[in-house]
Amino acid sequence: MPLLTDEVRKHIGAESAPFPACDPVEKGAVRRYAQAIMDPDPAYASDEAGARYGGAVAPPLYPAFMFRTPFGAPDVLTERAHDPDFDGLVMGVRDGLPELPLHGFALLNGGAEVEFYRYARHGETVFQKSRYADIYERETRAGPMIFVVIETEYTNGAGELLMRARKTIIRRK
Amino acid sequence: MARVDFEDVAIGQEIGPLVKGPLTTPHLMRWSAAMENWHKIHYDERFAREHDKLPGLLINGSLKQQFIVQLLKDWAGREGWVWKVNFQFRAMNIVGETLSVWAKVRGKREAPAYGLVELDLGIRNEKGLESTPGSAVVALPYRGGVPVPYPFVPPP
Repeated sequence: MPLLTDEVRKHIGAESAPFPACDPVEKGAVRRYAQAIMDPDPAYASDEAGARYGGAVAPPLYPAFMFRTPFGAPDVLTERAHDPDFDGLVMGVRDGLPELPLHGFALLNGGAEVEFYRYARHGETVFQKSRYADIYERETRAGPMIFVVIETEYTNGAGELLMRARKTIIRRK
Repeated sequence: MARVDFEDVAIGQEIGPLVKGPLTTPHLMRWSAAMENWHKIHYDERFAREHDKLPGLLINGSLKQQFIVQLLKDWAGREGWVWKVNFQFRAMNIVGETLSVWAKVRGKREAPAYGLVELDLGIRNEKGLESTPGSAVVALPYRGGVPVPYPFVPPP
């Protein structure tokens, strides 16, 4: 019995229209992020240290982590508080893509290919556009798994490319 | 951050390691909070073991990739540029481990405005387990030349 159904497979090619992250690059959010990754690069806090990049910037991968739950959105943690299968993840809000009908499947981060072009500066708004590039099933030593490949382009408010990412998400029973 | 010229890089040369850890549950909580991601497998040990059948709390792949980028970025310096990075989360790292991020120069090629260095990379724990094989392409300035253009312009 394959894990991957047509119901899931039909999402291949689905894409989101470009949409902005709920908040621009905030100094305090950058500080907490930089402290959490333990990278004390002064360019994350000082315009002088970040002069090469046009001022203080966020860490390179930061744009990929800006697409959080917007103010006023339904509270998924409360909605699913009684669901024993709820894994705490709030999917769908983050990449603008429809959630795949894989209820009860565990989710693991398989890896990514990333290209960098510029860093997001403090105060900038970041936009993303994503698509399901591929969804396929593969037999692994740990059993069958579904691999979901999502391609995302991140741009700033001027439409300038910041980075591209091709992420692989693994879903399994 | 020191400038590294393309000419100073040798094939086989090792970069790093950048050591992070031991990574405790508070480290994982701090990262989860910083990115507002509440995936239980990083802090709810019962859910991780009983529901997702994991051996313990996982160190976030999203955190491990930050360490890879930091190693490369700090090596490339302000005048270089980390262009491409890829990594696969092949093995799990469990809370309490200390991670060493390493990279090794596999190849070099010359583009008109800068040189490109190809690296293999990975993350090794204290037991020698390699969890995150990957590779990268880093642009470096030529000796006596101008910095790699910012924003980065890919080679023709």
